[in-house]
Amino acid sequence: MVSPTQKTDLGFIAIMILVGVVVVWLLLTPLVPSVSLATMRRFHLGSESFTKWAMQFPIPAMYNFANQYEMRSLPPDLVDSILDPDKDGYLNHFSARVVTFADGRYHNLREGKDRWFVLRSDYRGRSLESHWHLKRVGEKHVVHRLDAQESVR
Amino acid sequence: MSELDGIPVPPPIDRPLVVHRLVLLGLFVSLIWKWSFLFVADQVYASLTVDDDFFPAFFRDHNVLRSAFLLTLIAICVSFFFTKYAVRWISGVVMLSALTILCLHQSSYNDATFTTAWWTSLWSLWFVSYVHVHGREADLRRPAFLSRVIISMILLGGAVGKWTGEYWSGEVLYQIYFVERDFWVFNWLRDHFPAETLREIAMWYSRNVIVVETVCGFGLWLLPPRWAATVAIVVLTSIAVFSNWLLFSVLMSLIGLASAGLFVRDRNPNAKHSND
Repeated sequence: MVSPTQKTDLGFIAIMILVGVVVVWLLLTPLVPSVSLATMRRFHLGSESFTKWAMQFPIPAMYNFANQYEMRSLPPDLVDSILDPDKDGYLNHFSARVVTFADGRYHNLREGKDRWFVLRSDYRGRSLESHWHLKRVGEKHVVHRLDAQESVR
Repeated sequence: MSELDGIPVPPPIDRPLVVHRLVLLGLFVSLIWKWSFLFVADQVYASLTVDDDFFPAFFRDHNVLRSAFLLTLIAICVSFFFTKYAVRWISGVVMLSALTILCLHQSSYNDATFTTAWWTSLWSLWFVSYVHVHGREADLRRPAFLSRVIISMILLGGAVGKWTGEYWSGEVLYQIYFVERDFWVFNWLRDHFPAETLREIAMWYSRNVIVVETVCGFGLWLLPPRWAATVAIVVLTSIAVFSNWLLFSVLMSLIGLASAGLFVRDRNPNAKHSND
């Protein structure tokens, strides 16, 4: 057994540094628009790259932001002004769960047809709205990101 | 069992082992809590493919998801039942690696169960090494401190995202929970109050969540170990009891982690009320 005085606890230090970095990021979220927008892009799977998205995974984000979605079975530009969406509602976090997670995938994609989604997140005057087309190709749905609009008030 | 003046004296408990097993138990329960949902989810993923090239192929593969989940459960069980350091350390690495995959996989990234389990397994891996260095008489003050630092950070993460008008007004939680969520609290409230009163209750419910998460996020880690553990267990349990049973899958690993603080010895065994 190693004497406690013989060895610096590098694991403890590393975890404390990681916690410190996460806490700094969290505290910057309400103050710096680019930080909260980065988290919104994380929720919408819209980060610049998978690597940038993946680096944020240890950051806890339960029930963060006001996240809403709309699902339509027709292209939105055809019906925008005359029909309500087929489904809409609020989500706790990670807005793209309406397509990727089990319950959302089942409820929205089980009919095996094209679907159009609007994902919107709001936080302290900042917002991100993403438009997706889930195109049915063979036996699967393929994600097409149509556009994403960020705004800061 | 040894004897003292003819009276059998039970061997002292191996506190670090008990603590580690409690944390592992919390992790295990956390992962299997919504087993019926996971069973159905597995079938959904197998039958409804979403092809999104944002995720590398590895993180879209359904078999990777299944394997990572099963490996995590196996690693927890191995670490629970074996006491040899090397076995526990390797199990800890496997557990942390598999949970990292679950945090990044297309089908599971959004489930906070894996985020809290990841942080708990990180603590668990460090704790195995800590006990190896310090032995079974290891002071649990540092492990308890690290556990409440992690829990504070996770609660702060919940609070920060709610520091916005949509939560302060209660609108988000009203829409998610109060409108039609089938859960005893919301069913009872809908049965007893008109819609306009429900909105006001939702506002105070939401503000209460924000205040509790904020206060615990900033202050829990500053409390003495047993106080912090008790407060954390009560707060985490109340979150699930008053909003959604399924949230125990997110919170059970943190409840196990918090329990580390309950096993910290008094600094001065003769002082009756010392707890820090």
